[in-house]
Amino acid sequence: MVLVLAIGDLHIPHRAPDLPAKFKSMLVPGKIQHILCTGNLCIKEVHDYLKSLSPDLHITRGEYDEDVRYPENKTLSIGQFKLGLCHGHQIVPWGDLDSLAMLQRQLDIDILVTGHTHQFKAYKHEGGVIINPGSATGAYSSMTYDVNPSFVLMDIDGLRVVVYVYELIDGEVKVDKIDFKKTATTQSAH
Amino acid sequence: MSSASVPEASSTPQKRFSNLRGVRWRVDLGILPSSPSASIDDLRRVTADTRRRYASLRRRLLMDHHPPKDGDASPDLTVDNPLSQNPHSTWGRFFSYAELGRMVDQDLSRLYPEHSGYFHTPTCQAMLRRILLLWCLQHPEYGYRQGMHELLAPLVYVLRVDLDHLIEVQKLHEDCFNDEFDGIILSESDMIFNYRSRRIRNWDSGIEIENNPYKVSNGLSVGELDPHTREIFLLSDSYGAEGELGVILSERFMEHDAYCMLDYLMDGAQGVLAMASFFSPVVGSSTNLPPVIEASSALYHLLSIVDHSLHAHLVELGVEPQYFALRWLRVLYGREFCLDDLLVIWDELLSSKNSSCIDSDVEYNFKVLCCPRGSFVAALAVSMLLYLRSSLLATETATTCLQRLLNFPQNPDMKKLIEKAKSLQMLALESNITSSSTQRLSDKNKLTISRGCSLPSGSAMPKTSVSVIPDSYWEEKWRVLHEDEELRKQSNSESSSSGIMKKILTRKLSLSRTKSEPLEGKNAHSQSSVRRRLFDDSSKDIVAERDHVKSECYVPAFVPDNLNAGKNFTEKLVDQRTSDCMVEETLLSGDSSLVLSTATSPHDIGNDHGYESEKSSVTSNSFLGDNDEETLSMEDPCNQNNQDEETINMEEHCSQNLDNQLAQDVEAVSSVVIDTVPEQVAAPKDRKSFPGKFQWIWKFGRGCDEGNQKSQAGYTKKDCCNISTCDAICNSSGVNKRTEVGDKKVMDTLRSLGQSMLENIQVIETVFQQDKGKSDSSDNVPNNSLGGKGQGAAITALKELRKISNLLQEM
Repeated sequence: MVLVLAIGDLHIPHRAPDLPAKFKSMLVPGKIQHILCTGNLCIKEVHDYLKSLSPDLHITRGEYDEDVRYPENKTLSIGQFKLGLCHGHQIVPWGDLDSLAMLQRQLDIDILVTGHTHQFKAYKHEGGVIINPGSATGAYSSMTYDVNPSFVLMDIDGLRVVVYVYELIDGEVKVDKIDFKKTATTQSAH
Repeated sequence: MSSASVPEASSTPQKRFSNLRGVRWRVDLGILPSSPSASIDDLRRVTADTRRRYASLRRRLLMDHHPPKDGDASPDLTVDNPLSQNPHSTWGRFFSYAELGRMVDQDLSRLYPEHSGYFHTPTCQAMLRRILLLWCLQHPEYGYRQGMHELLAPLVYVLRVDLDHLIEVQKLHEDCFNDEFDGIILSESDMIFNYRSRRIRNWDSGIEIENNPYKVSNGLSVGELDPHTREIFLLSDSYGAEGELGVILSERFMEHDAYCMLDYLMDGAQGVLAMASFFSPVVGSSTNLPPVIEASSALYHLLSIVDHSLHAHLVELGVEPQYFALRWLRVLYGREFCLDDLLVIWDELLSSKNSSCIDSDVEYNFKVLCCPRGSFVAALAVSMLLYLRSSLLATETATTCLQRLLNFPQNPDMKKLIEKAKSLQMLALESNITSSSTQRLSDKNKLTISRGCSLPSGSAMPKTSVSVIPDSYWEEKWRVLHEDEELRKQSNSESSSSGIMKKILTRKLSLSRTKSEPLEGKNAHSQSSVRRRLFDDSSKDIVAERDHVKSECYVPAFVPDNLNAGKNFTEKLVDQRTSDCMVEETLLSGDSSLVLSTATSPHDIGNDHGYESEKSSVTSNSFLGDNDEETLSMEDPCNQNNQDEETINMEEHCSQNLDNQLAQDVEAVSSVVIDTVPEQVAAPKDRKSFPGKFQWIWKFGRGCDEGNQKSQAGYTKKDCCNISTCDAICNSSGVNKRTEVGDKKVMDTLRSLGQSMLENIQVIETVFQQDKGKSDSSDNVPNNSLGGKGQGAAITALKELRKISNLLQEM
């Protein structure tokens, strides 16, 4: 029953002033145990805000982040799952599934969280799950202006992860749910 | 037998299951049927039902609070997502449940650290946590409040104790309780079979054991056990009604039983006192106060009836009852007493019925006092307050007072506390009915209040008048003077026309009716001084000598007010004393002035002369530096004052003042309670003793003045004999002040007074000489010098005494 928030690409203050009000009202401290932030916050205030939501905050560096000390990749383990975090601008072509799968194999993880495209995506393939939480503020991306604010909440429970997707469509919050189960088999030899 | 409806002192018939607290409490709480004819099987069936209810509750609620997993038919995701704000969503409930769990865990970690061996084991903690959470989920309107765990802990503890007892009994009577069918001992005729079967078993274990077919065992069958053990057997038998689920003393279902007990305790089982109401801020239906506030004011109300001075003191300090009573009431004194003492209290508490003993159409003051159980709760609180009485009265600020209250002494005398509480319980029940009820009841009510601090003469009250609260001196004193007062009342003389002496006294002490006003102005002053006096008295235990100085310091403040330029011999007395020694006269006049000031202070409840005399005896005692405890004990009655019949009362004071001073002295020295059942002694004796006392006081005052403890002590010892001669006199005079005396008799008495004074003086002189001789012979230089000084002064005082006696004789 571990709640993990995947969020990113806020681009505050350059491309967006703040999170949408409805998102902000939902994100209250005390409920979420971990936060995985893909990057491009961009300023320290956003970092502090996220820190207030949960003490365990992981951030990777996006190309517009003002804090240069964030790492490029990050891996951590929650419950039975190994998670990986990367901004995604390093992986060319941007948003390409095979390339991302390569990164996943490279990091040896079950769940890979990346961003940069500002589009929500959730792929399941053989090795695991690749999740793109999109942009929480709906900031325009290098590729498109038509962006819906979105983020992802993962409920990790044993060998099962339930992915809740929160999207702000036409001013209303829409929630979707995807179930993933990890097959409790082949642990990698290395 | 079922518990008695009104707890009596020792005449209760032996209650059923009296040594199995867990079972008895379940009966008292209403879970198990309390009728004496209920068989064990009935009890088992009821128990089984309660356990089933709990089990189903547990299943339902615990499942409910985990978010839906697979196979859910498309729940509305906008509601049922983890971040949902909706409190009714599954996730919302999950989070609130987690929050409750956190609060409960926090409290449980601090539960009874001194019994951590039991309460802090993981199984016990888990069990307590589940019970509390389930109760809170079942009663969402209350939620979890700190303190509920303290109510649960003793319940679980007594269940555990019962089980331990069961295990012991089982060990004792192993064969009876033994559930194994293999090892049955057959009769002698089957010895061979026995032998063989035993042999086989021995093979299995591989050990050759010398088997003993006549193995010593109780060999008792169930029917042969003593009744108590038999009862335990039936209560724990797995094969009785309802099988395992019906076993009343069961470890497996301890959680179920504890939950049931908690539930009944909190809900009150349709009774009046529901503990849950104490945790809720919701206002009660009849009053506009939360129940716990109402209960706190109920106990203050009871206190005001029982002991007005303490109540007034607390109110004056600004100590609201709920400051301390909140903790006391919410956990039923769980934080004030150690667990074992608490169990005794709860025994009493639970054995009182929870049903209202007031008809529905009768108006009442406090809801909590409507039932015996609630009254006991309030009565116990008052009993605890009375236990701390002297130290509470000594406190000067609200914070110190609360500190004292919230740190109840470690090992109080439980028996006395509880007996006092039981006696007050009746009073609480009676006083609850408002005066708009039947006339008879209201009269009784008024009587109780008007009597003020003297406890009313209700049926239960005589007990309290001889109650056994620890402060023995104070109690004895009070009793002594209470009897005093009663006898005085009996002797039925409201006014005494005792001629000259009275006038003398009144004039001397400026007690004429017209003159009461000047004293009024001193009230505030006097109050503070009284308080200071009380404070002094309380510190007496620590430093006896210093108190002399202190008391003397305070006295001069009053001297100017009271010195009167009268023209009788007593004033000569005063003048002479002023010429001789400032302090002495201040002592005496200060004596009376303090008496006056307290007499005129605004407290107008209670009509106890006894208390005034006590007060004066306090002052005198303090001057004399005699027994400290008595002064401490006396300080309370000081606050009691009456305003009626000023002169007579005041006269009474003075004379009684002195009488009782001496009486006190005697007690101090000989530690004997004066038997104040006096005979009717002729008036002459009164007068004779009067100056005699003056002189004693004087002499003692001198002793104080010089700071010569040793010589004074010497005096006190040596003059004990003299005191004792006056003993009977002062006792009788103390009581019979009001006997009418003709003028002629007064003359006679004065003459005889003079004579006695002379005699006493002679005695003192001999004492002096003896002391002098002693001090001369002793090597102790400081003593010598002091002795010399003291004696010199005392001798001059004696000369004055002679003069006075001559004057008296002339008259």
